[in-house]
Amino acid sequence: MSEEPKVPIPELGGAVVETGGETLYQCMQCGLCTASCPWRLVEGDISRDFNTRKVQHMAMLGVEGYETEDILFACTTCGVCVERCPRECNPIDNMRVLRAMIGESGSVPQAYRPVIGSLNSNGNPWQGEAKDRTAWTKDMDVPSFGEDTEYLLFVCCTSCYDSRSKKIARAVASLLNKAGVSWGIIGEEEQCCGEAVRKVGSEETFMTLAEHNIKIFGEKGVKKIITTSPHCLYSFRNEYPELGGEFEVLHYTQLMDKLIEEGKLKPTKDFAKKVIFHDPCYLGRHNEVYEAPRNVIDSLPKAERVEMDRFGPDSICCGGGGGRIWMETPPGARFGDLRVSDAVAKKADVLATACPYCTIMIDASNMAMGKEEMEVLDIAEMLDQVT
Amino acid sequence: MAEKVGCFVCTGCKIGDAVDIEQVLSVANESGAVVAKSHEALCSKEGLDLIKSEIESNELGGVIIAACSQRDHVDTFRLPNVFVHRANMREQMAWTQPPQEEDTQMLAEDIIRMGFGKLQFTDIPQPEDVEVHNRILVVGGGVTGMSAALNAADAGKEVVIVEKEGELGGFANKLHKIFPKDLDLAAYPEPDVDALKEKVSGNDKITVEFNTTVASIAGAPAKFQVELKNGSGQKTINADSVVVAAGWKPYDATKLSHLGYGKPNVVTNVEFEQMAKDGKIARPSDGKEPESVLFVQCAGSRDDDHLPYCSNICCGATLKQITYLKDLNPEIAAYVVYKDIRAPGHYEEVYRQVQKQNAVMIKGEIEAVEEGDDGKLNVQATDVLMNEPVFVETDMVVLATGMVPTTLEEDVLNLAYRQGPELPEREYGFPNSHFVCFPYETQRTAIYAAGAVRMPMDLATCIDDAAGAAAKAVQSINLIEQGLAIHPRVGDASLPDFNLSRCTQCKRCTEECPFGALNEDEKGTPQPNPTRCRRCGVCMGACPERIVEFPDYNIQMISQQIKNMFVPDEFEEKPRVVCMVCENDAMAAIDMAAKNGLKLNPFVRIIPLRCLGSFNIIWVADALSNGIDGVLLLGCKSGDDYQCHFIKGSELCETRMGNVQDTLDRLMLESERLRLEHVAITDYKKIPEIFDSFLERLEELGPNPYKD
Repeated sequence: MSEEPKVPIPELGGAVVETGGETLYQCMQCGLCTASCPWRLVEGDISRDFNTRKVQHMAMLGVEGYETEDILFACTTCGVCVERCPRECNPIDNMRVLRAMIGESGSVPQAYRPVIGSLNSNGNPWQGEAKDRTAWTKDMDVPSFGEDTEYLLFVCCTSCYDSRSKKIARAVASLLNKAGVSWGIIGEEEQCCGEAVRKVGSEETFMTLAEHNIKIFGEKGVKKIITTSPHCLYSFRNEYPELGGEFEVLHYTQLMDKLIEEGKLKPTKDFAKKVIFHDPCYLGRHNEVYEAPRNVIDSLPKAERVEMDRFGPDSICCGGGGGRIWMETPPGARFGDLRVSDAVAKKADVLATACPYCTIMIDASNMAMGKEEMEVLDIAEMLDQVT
Repeated sequence: MAEKVGCFVCTGCKIGDAVDIEQVLSVANESGAVVAKSHEALCSKEGLDLIKSEIESNELGGVIIAACSQRDHVDTFRLPNVFVHRANMREQMAWTQPPQEEDTQMLAEDIIRMGFGKLQFTDIPQPEDVEVHNRILVVGGGVTGMSAALNAADAGKEVVIVEKEGELGGFANKLHKIFPKDLDLAAYPEPDVDALKEKVSGNDKITVEFNTTVASIAGAPAKFQVELKNGSGQKTINADSVVVAAGWKPYDATKLSHLGYGKPNVVTNVEFEQMAKDGKIARPSDGKEPESVLFVQCAGSRDDDHLPYCSNICCGATLKQITYLKDLNPEIAAYVVYKDIRAPGHYEEVYRQVQKQNAVMIKGEIEAVEEGDDGKLNVQATDVLMNEPVFVETDMVVLATGMVPTTLEEDVLNLAYRQGPELPEREYGFPNSHFVCFPYETQRTAIYAAGAVRMPMDLATCIDDAAGAAAKAVQSINLIEQGLAIHPRVGDASLPDFNLSRCTQCKRCTEECPFGALNEDEKGTPQPNPTRCRRCGVCMGACPERIVEFPDYNIQMISQQIKNMFVPDEFEEKPRVVCMVCENDAMAAIDMAAKNGLKLNPFVRIIPLRCLGSFNIIWVADALSNGIDGVLLLGCKSGDDYQCHFIKGSELCETRMGNVQDTLDRLMLESERLRLEHVAITDYKKIPEIFDSFLERLEELGPNPYKD
């Protein structure tokens, strides 16, 4: 215990409430959030130091001591605590506001500086030039979104620029073509949805990106959006409407599920493997899409689907949300390892997921753990193989 | 005793398969049965018809129903005008012994013989009507007292409320608000104290004596003579039963100087409530509106140096008082330093509301409250969640102090009882006599505690509590009127008879009666008060001269059961143990063991007692002189968290056993031949082991040297 007592400044707690941390004072300090947090399942300094309840409590008191990278920026915004809190608190919102306050004071973690810089200059977090946004479409028949197009396919920046992730975009596009859907992309003019950078605390960058996208979408006459990433889905569904962007938004798994049911997509070739599905936080807990991806897997001929011990609303984060995709997480503290272990325990041949972040994080763990006999695939890739 | 006894052996529930029934019936005949018959289901209509026709044709005065436990088919075998003994052939024999064994047969025959022994010394009790006044005394005119009075009046009883103040309402009069008014608590309507007052004033069955206290209460239930005292003198009223609704006092904050009490700007929650009621929430030192207030929860509560218990209401009170502050000025900062916020039921809504108003909750302990600059208070606390000290400068500190029963500080009944003027204090000084099983009951018959004098509670709970106590007070009158016991032997018609010509004035009975039923004359001779009696038999167990007896429960009845047991010479194979069991819990545990298929030692003979407190040491002499190898006693848990229906039965028994064990040692008889075990109903699984281990020890000791 330190010698110098901390002096509460309730005005600071009040400021968090006023800027979006509405549930800060609702906490009854039970600690279920801390106990449920995936950081408890790994080892290391962050696991030791990051305590959700304590951060909320200190923020409420308006005292200092939680602002470091390893504490305030540890949260992956996976939402297990939100799901389980008996008082309907939202530690994610509170954490986001606290990060924003730190950001305003200029102490943004080093790892986020290039990300925010790239978002501001290129409209994506991956240092890619705007003109390369459509590079993933190389040698593919990809229509541009026009007046008569029904769906806008909004490809996550990660799948636009990351070489592994590009395959997901290509698989989704291929499937849309096979099903004869009326779809198109906007391409260079669109920018990152802004979901993750907002969680990092850069409210201003988010606003710029969102307002830009809403304007472009409006100009092009976009009504319906298909996203490849659950994070874009979240942002368009839950954050854009407040800024005037009202769209009908679907994750691609939801559309594929519908197309298969209608017989417009016909998986015919065998996929004779044991498949285990990892629920991405932003598809499951944040958007409550649990059935569609499972239905798609079940449609693969001869595929055997099994569940991890922790699935659905109890699924564990891949470790890539809340801006952690851009942070270095030390070995032994990577949540992706937990997912790989869970899948290996069930002797799965394929760990399937439906989020670009999850694919990257879990694939990295899979390789680091030397479990390459198990593949990490996006559901779109699997479906495209057999359709 | 019944001159003609019939014995009816049921062969159902596997009893018939376990033993040779003809042999059992011949034992009954040898024991003097006028008629001995078996039937495949005595509890059936045919079985009961058989019993009834035999009673009539043979003019039987007593019957032994050798069937299931006396705890089963209680009403089925309640037969008018005959003494019924339930010999337990099912749980104690058929279900717990191997069938068709010699030892099983011997057990069954002993059960019959013992029944005949009992019937030699028992009679049907004849209750006598008691004249009642149909009047209930309610001590205290607060929310509890008023509610109890209204309930009792609704049940047709007259009520006299004695209120020491000049108006009804009690502590509720001191409250600014009961709940925050702007909270949507439609599901939890707030108690309407004014409406209660009006209802009481307008009820012609209720009389309120204002500015009055109880000077004394003499007599006994249905015969209480209550002396009332007020400024203008005294008067006497009669009452049948009493509801004590004397309420509570705040814990003495002068003992809380470590929390800053004594400094001008440190007040209690009661003092703060008064400020709010007066419309002046202000720093006492300068009358300024506070900018911040820090509430200290569990101030002198859940603290071994003060009140060790939780008072239940202080969290709710603080949360409510924070709403006073926020109503006054939302900018006033409210801090709460707490151990745990306990906000059950609708208080959860108050808690949520207060949190929405940004109350700063700090889970921790106060380290120091000191005076700072400009009338401010410097509060240092340990924050448990940060594991760090915090410092708060505040204008006021409010100590959320707990509730103490008024009876702990004031005499409110002044009973003319040999054992003292007030209700005996049980755990934490509250007068509950059996907190878990029998709320409202005290250690004084027909005197019931209700409301915050019974346990800490809020107003809404007080209203419910009052209804319960009032029901008890009404019920007690109706039972006393018929000469019947109230609790826990509801409806028991037996009363103890004292053969005072042989009394040596040793005062054991008057001291040991758990309910203060016996007064004493100058010489120390007991003076029974039948309507105070609960029929437990503690006096019977206490008496060294054995002058106390009930018509259906007495020393000789038990002695004769012991004497009627057949004790074989061959100890090696056939030791014998008498096991006296409390019929409230231990016997139920034995029944449960049987129902769960557990097997019991065949050498144990069970005799139920009303309470282990009625155990008389003469029975040890009876057993040992009859060649019995050991005496086992099964009673209830004693101590602060006792489970005894009669407060301290096994405790008293233990003391008596200690005395007799010394005597045994002097006689060179192993004192270990006597053993007492505590058994709760839930301990049924332990019964076989308790029996077996006692038998094993007896085997090591060898046979009773008095064996023939």
